[in-house]
Amino acid sequence: MGKLKQNPIIKQLGFNRIILFLVMLFIYLIFCVLIPNFLGLSHVMSMLNYVCFLGFLALGVTFVIATGGIDFSIGPVMFCCALISGYTLNQHGVPMAAALVICILVGTLFGGFNGYMVAYWDVPPFIISMASMNIAKGLASVYTKTTTVSWPQSADPGGWFRNFLKVGNVPVGLIIFLIAAVVCSVILNNTKPGRYILGLGSNREAVRLSGVNTKKWEMIAYIICGTLAGIAAIFFAAAYSTVQPGYGDQYNNEAIAACVMGGTSMIGGLASIGGTVIGTLIIALIQEGILAMKLTKDVQLIITAIIVIAAVYIDVSARRRKN
Amino acid sequence: MGEVILEMKQIDKSFPGVHALDHVDFNVRRGEVHALMGENGAGKSTLMKVLTGIYKKDSGSIIYEGKETEFHNAKEAQDAGVIIVHQELNMVGDLTVAQNIFLGREPRKGLGIDDKKMIKDSRELFDHLKIEIDPMEKMSDLTVGKQQMCEIAKAISHDAKVIIFDEPSAALTEKEIEDLFIIIRDLKKRQLGIVYISHRMDEIKQITDRVTVMRDGTYIGTLMTKESTKDEIINMMVGRIIYEDPKQQSACPPDAPIVLKVENLNAGKMVKNVSFELRKGEILGFSGLMGAGRTETARALFGADPKQSGTIYINGEKVDIKSPQDAVKYGIGYLSEDRKRYGVVVGRSVAENTTMACLDNYLKGFLINKRAEKNVSDEYIKRLATKTPNSEELVMNLSGGNQQKVVIAKWLARDCDILIFDEPTRGIDVGAKNEIYKLMNQLVSEGKSIIMISSEMTEILRMSDRIVVMCEGEIKGEIDISEATSENIMDKATRNIS
Repeated sequence: MGKLKQNPIIKQLGFNRIILFLVMLFIYLIFCVLIPNFLGLSHVMSMLNYVCFLGFLALGVTFVIATGGIDFSIGPVMFCCALISGYTLNQHGVPMAAALVICILVGTLFGGFNGYMVAYWDVPPFIISMASMNIAKGLASVYTKTTTVSWPQSADPGGWFRNFLKVGNVPVGLIIFLIAAVVCSVILNNTKPGRYILGLGSNREAVRLSGVNTKKWEMIAYIICGTLAGIAAIFFAAAYSTVQPGYGDQYNNEAIAACVMGGTSMIGGLASIGGTVIGTLIIALIQEGILAMKLTKDVQLIITAIIVIAAVYIDVSARRRKN
Repeated sequence: MGEVILEMKQIDKSFPGVHALDHVDFNVRRGEVHALMGENGAGKSTLMKVLTGIYKKDSGSIIYEGKETEFHNAKEAQDAGVIIVHQELNMVGDLTVAQNIFLGREPRKGLGIDDKKMIKDSRELFDHLKIEIDPMEKMSDLTVGKQQMCEIAKAISHDAKVIIFDEPSAALTEKEIEDLFIIIRDLKKRQLGIVYISHRMDEIKQITDRVTVMRDGTYIGTLMTKESTKDEIINMMVGRIIYEDPKQQSACPPDAPIVLKVENLNAGKMVKNVSFELRKGEILGFSGLMGAGRTETARALFGADPKQSGTIYINGEKVDIKSPQDAVKYGIGYLSEDRKRYGVVVGRSVAENTTMACLDNYLKGFLINKRAEKNVSDEYIKRLATKTPNSEELVMNLSGGNQQKVVIAKWLARDCDILIFDEPTRGIDVGAKNEIYKLMNQLVSEGKSIIMISSEMTEILRMSDRIVVMCEGEIKGEIDISEATSENIMDKATRNIS
């Protein structure tokens, strides 16, 4: 096993990532055995709807967790983005392109707010993101007067935005998500923001004493997270059409679960975009499988919670062994 | 002075690479105050930790109240009546005085705690010691001096027979020290054995009966305080033989330009009106005892901690340093005494640590030029002889000396002209120590300037061109290396405070 880990190809891909990928295949096989007709395109396509928006949330929160922080607001922020931009689209007749820009901007603003509070006001990330979560829910309700917002169907004017998700049976959304993941991976591993985000997650004081503006880079991690939540909202709207105020909490946990499962450490300083992608696929797979088994959403909540606990436990105990 | 209550015989203790205690003898009598003195790292604290069971001795014996004893932890020692009053207080700020004193052994009443009894007992305890403290007051509202009194009261309430004071006066005011001495004299009258660890010569003279001096983990001797002089004790502390040859004269020409000038720097409680100059190509040694304010001065200068006032000139130009970012911009690099916390990012690679302060030089557009980064990292690995499999290795897998080299590489890669080395060889083995000394000499010969903070006298005398001595947050003197001796440095570092 130890020798296998030293193999250069395996090292490059990451041993844990390979294991996780095998786990995913294993889960898929189990579902295929348990559920008749699970094998096939229709389930995969419906699963990909879920992968796209959840994937963007998970990519974003990876940056925040890499700093050693946490963001519990991304789910409701995603809803808030979709609601505010969708309402503006329907009620004020702005063009679709503008609505999409607004959608992303709302996410960026929430990220900026969270990041500013955490980095410059020293508010614990846990507290500020809990507060933001409620602000996002409240703001969306107030703005839409607590009405459900429906995004245009494919045939309607502006319905072209659904092409981001799929064109016919081509999963455009998945391709965009994978490209975004590659970009995120490059940002995290090959650029200055990524270098400092990982550095400050590992040892903030040492990075600060190297003459780095740690506050700025920490805030940027939250801005990236918020912006990606805004993009996630577009994919959510494209997949599910209607958005209702007051929801979105469960996606926090699922995104964080995907991220932690993928090998990003809750303590910070260690992150894997590849792991986050596989983690997202696993969460989406489980959700699809549970629905196909005619079990309720509640079962999925419990399973996600168990995954988070297991992933964090594995991370923590691996560290303890190292020390 | 009564009979011997506690005797430590031939105590020996080694840590990996360090012989911390070399067959040390020490005893305490009933009704005496026995001073334990020595430089930083002489082994005083280790000896006391062996006594109270925090460390396990390798050999030797401890005889307490006539019986050979070995405590396995601080609780056992405490139950037997041997108690340390630590330099850092171990009190819970949000609890009341009484709650702190009875922490973990609260008197019970049914299922709850008998608050009334606890307060009554505390009050009796304070009356007994003639201390005026309200047991209902919150601990964090008390002054440090009063908190220390509480710590002493707590010790006595444990039915102490031997109390060890570990530098009790470090944080106290003159008045508080007087109060402390009144209590100590009272305890002495009650036939307790007291060990008093302190660097302050005047206190030793005032309060103690005997003085035992340690140096480099060995027992040097015991004197009656009354019959000894300050010089005698200092000589015992520093020893006459300096085994590593000290520098004879400054290697820095007296007309070398001044690269850094600090005027009237004030920061926090530990930096008071500090002024000094640093010349190009000079190693300026900062000597003093622990807690003298040297690290605080360096951190304030570097912008790591806020400063209240003071002017800094670099190459004759007045500069405003508000944060480490500013300091690095002006070419100052700081190697912290606590390199794991403030120096290296242990969870990241050697290469990433090397370019941490100068990443901008390794950017190609948005991307980091990893090849250039690897090249510079490899270059410093070679130049500093850092022992690591490659530049991708995580810093946490390196030894202390090699981690220090990574920090040095970080500042050299940034091309800093002024380097602050804070305890550069702490926790580093002898071989690596010599390499770091060699490197420092090489750096100054290349025209860099170094401020070296060190608590090791031999290091100060071996490396410095000029020595600044600090005590209690103030600069007490400046000595050229040609005139420096460990005696005249120690004299300034322990100068009486009035």
